[in-house]
Amino acid sequence: MLERLSNREQIRLDNSLARRSDSDSHSNLPSSSTTFLSRFSDSKRSIESRIDLSRIDHPTDPSQVRSLLDNISASISDLEKLVAESSYLLPSYEVRSSLKTISDLKQALETLNSELIPRKKFTFKNKAAKKDPTAEPNETTPENPESVSTKHGNLSFPVRDSPGFRNRKGDILVKNFKGSDIGEFTVSDLDSCEVRLTGSVRALFIHRLSNCKVYAGPVTGSVLIDEADGCVFVMASHQIRIHNAKGCDFYLRVRSRPIIEDTSGVRFAPYCLNYEGVEEDLKGASLDEETGNWANVDDFRWLRAVQSPNWSVLPENERFEVVNISTLGGGTDGN
Amino acid sequence: MGLLSIIRKIKRKEKEMRILMVGLDNSGKTTIVLKINGEDTSVISPTLGFNIKTLTYQKYTLNIWDVGGQKTIRSYWRNYFEETDGLVWVVDSSDLRRLDDCKMELDNLLKEERLSGSSLLILANKQDIKGALTPEEIAKVLNLEAMDKTRHWNIVGCSAYTGEGLLEGFDWLVQDIASRIYVLD
Ligand SMILES: Nc1nc2c(ncn2[C@@H]2O[C@H](COP(=O)(O)OP(=O)(O)OP(=O)(O)O)[C@@H](O)[C@H]2O)c(=O)[nH]1
Ligand SMILES: [Mg+2]
Repeated sequence: MLERLSNREQIRLDNSLARRSDSDSHSNLPSSSTTFLSRFSDSKRSIESRIDLSRIDHPTDPSQVRSLLDNISASISDLEKLVAESSYLLPSYEVRSSLKTISDLKQALETLNSELIPRKKFTFKNKAAKKDPTAEPNETTPENPESVSTKHGNLSFPVRDSPGFRNRKGDILVKNFKGSDIGEFTVSDLDSCEVRLTGSVRALFIHRLSNCKVYAGPVTGSVLIDEADGCVFVMASHQIRIHNAKGCDFYLRVRSRPIIEDTSGVRFAPYCLNYEGVEEDLKGASLDEETGNWANVDDFRWLRAVQSPNWSVLPENERFEVVNISTLGGGTDGN
Repeated sequence: MGLLSIIRKIKRKEKEMRILMVGLDNSGKTTIVLKINGEDTSVISPTLGFNIKTLTYQKYTLNIWDVGGQKTIRSYWRNYFEETDGLVWVVDSSDLRRLDDCKMELDNLLKEERLSGSSLLILANKQDIKGALTPEEIAKVLNLEAMDKTRHWNIVGCSAYTGEGLLEGFDWLVQDIASRIYVLD
């Protein structure tokens, strides 16, 4: 049903949005990251020297000064476009350092501008929006305004809680999603707990866990982990994003590249969960194949070409072989 | 409008619109862009830098800039503000915990002078997830009613999985931009 709906929507989308073969911008794309790098650094050097030169020697006519600045700005935009178009073939640290370079060039141009045209700000402003109150979309207010409320700019949240396990200590927590219509599930504020999730779910949110073990069946969307300390995670998902984790082991199967941010001392190994029906669940979520992505971790805090010191591959002799939660004892079901 | 922006306007290719997609990490920006472009959405990694997609929508050419939303790279967003005609703010409507982050980042963005003339489309994404907040609830949480009166904005519920709502959102955005920029048509 969902798939049919999805196809129909896609046809509608295809009909109204014809893809454009942008041949002119693609034909002169660099074919390898070395070509990119040499083109990028040439162009960078030329922009830098134009900025330096203009500082020493520039026209006196303000409109000429403006077109000079505009010209440099256009070159920076072109360089930026080159990065964007090449980003799929570049290692991530190169994308990141190119972004940094562009940011620096823009800064240098702004400084130059304030030197040459002290009073006016150098911005390309869009035409101001027309003041036409009738064009403002009319938003309806929710029927039950007390369900969501805002307080001093911060949100206080008496909104319905999403299903999940929260605020527990030393418990074994078990949940089977099979047959339930749960879309997203939250596991938060747990200390020394073991969490066993079977069946599949669309999104999993994990927040503030210490010394816990989390075993999970497939997630068809993403797993978002924020603040975990001394935990073990065994999970399969289309995306896994790890923030603020310390000293944790991750046994993963992922379709895309797992990422870490503000994280240290974490180790990775392949997925090793077993329970009755796990194969079927994984297949249903298109996670039945090992992609090897568990070892392709991107550290957003690490810009350099050498391996990030924040994560490593878990040595084979320290890995669990299989975790079989069907045969583990104990546990209370529910949420 | 300064001289510079006039020069810029003329140099600009006709009927081109520049659209900037931002929002917290995990909100679904890349999935949305690939979906409207009819591409495979089954393997998408979190965006380390940014992507540009050029596509034809009605009689306009849209240059869509999809910038990563992870905390580390949010500071790069400001590199993309220049000349933005349309701003798309994507919200993960199922991520209740981070709605205050989401509100704070949006508020900061809207203070940006360089974005003051752009139309704002808020996409309340992931409506297919049971438990997701409705667009009305998201509007309330983000306090959209308090928006500067000169801003053209709209909020639309959508799902990058089913495609639902995406056309409605982009239709509004493109029409709104067109009515501001190509008044002489
Ligand atoms: N259920 C559901 N999941 C979605 C939807 N849109 C995106 N997702 C999932 O949400 C996760 C994040 O999607 P992305 O497109 O990578 O998010 P992003 O906003 O580009 O993230 P960054 O690049 O880090 O800024 C992926 O696992 C998607 O499959 C949706 O409409 N419904
Ligand atoms: Mg992305």
